[in-house]
Amino acid sequence: MNNTYRFLLLAGVTASSAFFAGCETAQGVKNPSGVPVTEMRPDERGFVAGTGVESQDLVAVTDKMARSILGIPQIARAAVEPSIVLEPVVNNTRFPINKDIFLTRIRSQLNSKAMGRVSFLDRAMMKTLEHERALKQSGQVTASANPNAVEFGGADFFLTGQLDGLATRTSQGTSDYILYTFRLTDARTSRIVWEDSAEIKKQGLEDAAYR
Amino acid sequence: MRPLTRFLFATAALLAFAGCVEIPDQPPGPRAAAPGGDPRFANVDDRDRVLFEYRFAASSMRAGNFDDARKLLDDAILRIGGVISGPDEAARRARGLFTAEREKTFIGEPYERVMAFYYRGLLYWRDGQPDNARACFRSGQFIDGDAEADTYKGDYVLLDYLDGLASTKLAADGSDARTRAEKTAKHSLPAYDPAANVLCFLEFGPGPRKVAAGQYGEQLKFQLSPSRVRSATLSLAGQNLHFTPWDNLNFQAMTRGGRVMDYILGNKAVFKRNANTVGDLALAGSAIATDNAYKEKKRVVTDENGRQHVVTDVEKDQGSENTALILGAVGIASKIFSAATETRADTRTWDNLPQYLSFAALRLPPGEHMAILQFFDADGHAIQDLTRRVAITVGDPARDTVVFLSELKR
Repeated sequence: MNNTYRFLLLAGVTASSAFFAGCETAQGVKNPSGVPVTEMRPDERGFVAGTGVESQDLVAVTDKMARSILGIPQIARAAVEPSIVLEPVVNNTRFPINKDIFLTRIRSQLNSKAMGRVSFLDRAMMKTLEHERALKQSGQVTASANPNAVEFGGADFFLTGQLDGLATRTSQGTSDYILYTFRLTDARTSRIVWEDSAEIKKQGLEDAAYR
Repeated sequence: MRPLTRFLFATAALLAFAGCVEIPDQPPGPRAAAPGGDPRFANVDDRDRVLFEYRFAASSMRAGNFDDARKLLDDAILRIGGVISGPDEAARRARGLFTAEREKTFIGEPYERVMAFYYRGLLYWRDGQPDNARACFRSGQFIDGDAEADTYKGDYVLLDYLDGLASTKLAADGSDARTRAEKTAKHSLPAYDPAANVLCFLEFGPGPRKVAAGQYGEQLKFQLSPSRVRSATLSLAGQNLHFTPWDNLNFQAMTRGGRVMDYILGNKAVFKRNANTVGDLALAGSAIATDNAYKEKKRVVTDENGRQHVVTDVEKDQGSENTALILGAVGIASKIFSAATETRADTRTWDNLPQYLSFAALRLPPGEHMAILQFFDADGHAIQDLTRRVAITVGDPARDTVVFLSELKR
């Protein structure tokens, strides 16, 4: 093999090496595969599907709130079981959520664990209840008690809450912090007799194909 | 031409033309499960599902089928929100050399995702949930934070304005959001009226379309169609609401700046070009080596009669032949790789978006109100064929009445 052919052969092999080296199209792209979302808690880390409000947050937050409410003197040492009305949660985050689900879970946790120490008034049913009472008062349907007596319960406390959020987005990824705050307000004095909060921070980076 | 040379040229020509094969726009793939048995999704690829949900949702909004739009947008937003979920196989493949970008699951460019949140926000407001509507507007503005230049990050006027309006209606402070809206607005914004119970959202003009540009279609560009409508009025109950553009989706699409994916597609294009060049050079080298693999040597021989003859011998140079074969193989491989490299930018577009978004709020008593909607061109002349009567029903006083008006037909 003379020098010319050796040169051609070498050039061919070099070119093909360079060619295959170029197969990596994401060269220079930081984290082309993205970074899995990490749940940022003081004591644990986990993998979640997004940076928004998710079921595990709901469970953690509502469990904490239910435990916290049961411990306050107004509930734990009440002579008569106090009546609580739920007021809608206000969502101040960037995530549209089903807000009622928080209070519904707190209510169900309290009802199942409070063993009669607290009761809830179903204000969502008021229209239906009033209609039923009117039917009884007019004699259109039977009544097992005096339908003219005022028996709808009044609230001793209002339970409500709000979700506040802080969001950051940079080339490093997306970070979302959500503060969940719930409070119990005395219906007679307007004093906040209990308030507790939970906070969750999550961050992640989507695949380079979506950036 | 010798057999080896003929073979190499024939193969190269075949490969060159093989590169011209048109890949169908929608190659077959896994089908999306029809949401709720929706027959519209029966033939939609899973990766295109969000795209079709976007399109159907916009059509449903315009047709007044808000329940359908809500269902479609909820599913689409769920999918958009799930892109940060760790390794994504489809996305990983789309970054690869031999898979087109359009193979990834479609979630849309930021302006498209913003619009999904915008429409969903209107529906939340319509359902009496202004805080969730505000969450959607905030998400939209957050997604627009993807723009390369700081000037264009989160610069939707309407989203900030509505954020502030929702806060005001929720008895919170909406002034910060309003200040942000004023900073980016090109016209003065109306003061918030917490008692305004009818919110009119108007859209007009055709939205941007995506096109692939560059030598190998590796650049994502936008095709803009000018809107013949530039403003509108809604006349009812002695009031005349004037609508001018608050946000321009063409502008939003154009000002996003470079994507990381553009960089990847650029690398793919460089690879495709280099592979093609290497293929050309290697095949040319192979042809030269082939030509030189066989050498004719003339020599003079003397026969038994003492006469001299010139005899031509063909001498094979084994080294040259090997070189020709190796270079030929390299050339063919390079051509194959070049032809197979998918550089084209993903041009799947939410193709029924508007160009302009506008808004006005007013107070109306409960009941049905008839209004006349008129559109105007750039010279302020009414476009007669677009004029129409609109019925506005103000119902439950506990919630705002959301009126959605569009110049677009589908």
